[in-house]
Amino acid sequence: MLTLQTVTRASFFTRLDFRPKLVLMAVLTLTAFLWESVALNGALALGVILAALAAGVSGRYIRRVLGLMAPFYVILLLTQGFWAGDMLRARTGQTVLTPLLTLPAHWWLIGGGQMSLEGVLYALNLIAKTLTMTLVIPLGVFTTDANAMIVGLVKARIPYKLAFIFSSTLRFFPLLFAEAQTILEAQRLRGLAFEDLGLLKRVSLYAKIAVPLILNALVKAQTLEIVLLSRAFSGSPERTYLHESRLAAWDYALLVSSALFFIAVLVAYFGWGLGRMGGPLANF
Amino acid sequence: MASIIAALKQASYAYPHTDRFALKDISLDIHQGEFLGLIGPTGAGKTTFCLALNGIVPQFYGGRFFGHVTVAGLDTLDHPISALARHVGVVFEDPETQLVAHSVENEIAFALENLKIPREEMLPRISRALEAVRLEGTEKRHPQELSGGQKQRLAIAAALALRPDLLILDEPTSQLDPVGAQEVFATVRELNRTLGIAVVMTGHAAEELAEYADRVALLVGGKLVKVGPPDAVYGDVAQLETCDVRPPQVARTFYLINRLRGAESPVPVRLAEGMRRLREGPAIEIAGCYAKCVETHSDTSASLLSVKDLHHVYPDGTRALRGISLDIRAGEYVLIVGQNGAGKSSLVKHFLKLLTPTEGCVQVDGRDMREWTVGALARRIGYVAQNPDHQIFNATVWDEVAFALKNRGWRKAEVEGRVIETLSALNLLDARDRHPLALPRGDRARVVIAAVLALHPDVLIFDEPTTGQDYRGARAILDITRDLHRQGKTIIVITHHLHLMPDYAERVLVMGAGVLLLDAPIRQAYHAVDVLRSTYLTPPQAVLLAQALGNDVPLLTPEEVAACVTDKNVKRET
Repeated sequence: MLTLQTVTRASFFTRLDFRPKLVLMAVLTLTAFLWESVALNGALALGVILAALAAGVSGRYIRRVLGLMAPFYVILLLTQGFWAGDMLRARTGQTVLTPLLTLPAHWWLIGGGQMSLEGVLYALNLIAKTLTMTLVIPLGVFTTDANAMIVGLVKARIPYKLAFIFSSTLRFFPLLFAEAQTILEAQRLRGLAFEDLGLLKRVSLYAKIAVPLILNALVKAQTLEIVLLSRAFSGSPERTYLHESRLAAWDYALLVSSALFFIAVLVAYFGWGLGRMGGPLANF
Repeated sequence: MASIIAALKQASYAYPHTDRFALKDISLDIHQGEFLGLIGPTGAGKTTFCLALNGIVPQFYGGRFFGHVTVAGLDTLDHPISALARHVGVVFEDPETQLVAHSVENEIAFALENLKIPREEMLPRISRALEAVRLEGTEKRHPQELSGGQKQRLAIAAALALRPDLLILDEPTSQLDPVGAQEVFATVRELNRTLGIAVVMTGHAAEELAEYADRVALLVGGKLVKVGPPDAVYGDVAQLETCDVRPPQVARTFYLINRLRGAESPVPVRLAEGMRRLREGPAIEIAGCYAKCVETHSDTSASLLSVKDLHHVYPDGTRALRGISLDIRAGEYVLIVGQNGAGKSSLVKHFLKLLTPTEGCVQVDGRDMREWTVGALARRIGYVAQNPDHQIFNATVWDEVAFALKNRGWRKAEVEGRVIETLSALNLLDARDRHPLALPRGDRARVVIAAVLALHPDVLIFDEPTTGQDYRGARAILDITRDLHRQGKTIIVITHHLHLMPDYAERVLVMGAGVLLLDAPIRQAYHAVDVLRSTYLTPPQAVLLAQALGNDVPLLTPEEVAACVTDKNVKRET
């Protein structure tokens, strides 16, 4: 199961301030969003995966992300491969698509459907986009100490209340997750073998967990509010911090490189069409 | 007389949307450097009392408030909670929910940051607070990595860093094992003595409060019934029992002795004094007592649960069980005890197929666990977890109890019959249409027991069933286990509350560090004091009083000790 983690290995990424990491995450996400080229987005996704591995995010975690996303990727490949033809023709001006596979005409409803190379490439582009956007989060968040993250967010002019909510989510998510596991265990101990149940039955049982989980979360939230008040918390940004957030040379270097990279991406995209659908590298 | 640090003057309070007053006309002064124990049954108003001292009541909740509460000279109605927080530190019951930060040092710094204490001043305050609770060296650790006792000590350190005049601890040990509870009591007492911080502590730990508190206040139904030194409050055993409050066992023992002898001498409330009184008293004819309290129990029935050379290693490398072998026979009432991490829960999880052995084997009814399906096992073994709220996931009491039956594909009429039978047995029929989570905690526990019982399992496992319950609630649940045992069920109970179990359990498994240290009848196990202490358990005071009588008298309860001391066979010495 996917949970929030902190990497144990010290690396270039763990030494960075959270602010340049935030900028890097924003730049990579926007770039992935902008590009329509499977080659460029694939390279970007691969780069993010390698960086995450180098920063200490476990290969097991990345495999789990891929495993969780796999059904959606299959759906993307099928839907875009077979049915994105009209959209691709309209956007690229291409009149004929390259056929890869044609379904027998006598098949009910989908008979005669044709999978095109362009459709598959477009699906792969979407897959690479989502991979970049998904894996840039562990790269930035897992490599940052939660306390440094709050100070970084506040220094980045994010309101303290929002930064605190973000930090509390990181703190209490594992507790709620453990609680959900306990409720599932309780159902199992009343004779429910989840592995033998159909999908619908499973979904209805998962839904039943929501009620006690939300009620318990509300009780916990009220307790937490009382604890915070008892510790003089008012949500006011007028407070001091134990941790300091100072930008070092590497942080400035990353800020500048991220900005330059994004400018280059924009110039290449709008100037020469690099990464644009139908532009150079369109079929790669 | 020390100066007054907090004062309640005719304070009354009702929460919003209710006519019932949680505090009724309370007047009490708390002095600088004082340790005040606050006792009372569930619903007495102890938590409300604590929250009134830091302004949460009524500033956070609203409601109707009358009278005055002042802390360090500040009226709690006129000053914001954040201003009061400088003077009052609070430690709550649940160690999980009250820690808000991602590292130990940040936990302590949190309140200091809110009060705009400069960073340069924070660092020495953090060091001193950690030193005071003996958690030096843990600054960078995540609070989640600490044990229960350490977490509560961290919460105390977080309160301490503010240099409060008053430290309030609301049932701080109720969710801890004996080691954790001991750590918290020792820390609080030391802070109280060395730093002169006034302490208000609520809780059901009668023996510890009698030992440590300067004064004890008895709260019942929102009213302050009695305030005085522990001897005066805990010594009035009859009044405590009327109020559903458990007295220290030593007090109950001497109260019973007085009653049997028709005497009215003062009742000791601390163990050392009780033991001295027994040693100085007349010698006892042991043989007569012994014959009365020793029952022979031989069981030749077949093994129901069997474990052979069981080892379990968790994925993180923790060796939870190391070569456990034991048999539990049908109809036994078995108590499993040991410190946190001793392997108790890991052992029972093997009976439930929630864990699989790393080495060794587990059998139910002579069949290897691998041969059991989840459904078949649930019909054979029922499990009631520590927190009933984690086992409730239906919208009504009826649905909760019917859940397992419906999933087994029973017909509607069969389900109805079984649910009515089960709810009636547990006196829950009137609550059939209510949401289980809207019921009081004791009733929620009964709903879970009913839901498990609906399948008519032969074995019932109760994991810490008395945690968070007051004396009456704990006895009510244990009485259910006794009824079930009398019906022929096999009962397994895991608990730290040894003093509650002599009236129920027959056999005790003492575990420590994944090893079975002792497997013996309860009388023998409770008197193996060294073995119990090796796994950080404290034997009930009645056991220690019995040992003070000498000659290895295996008495277990205040009733037995009192009966023995007042027996006609007493050999008078001149």
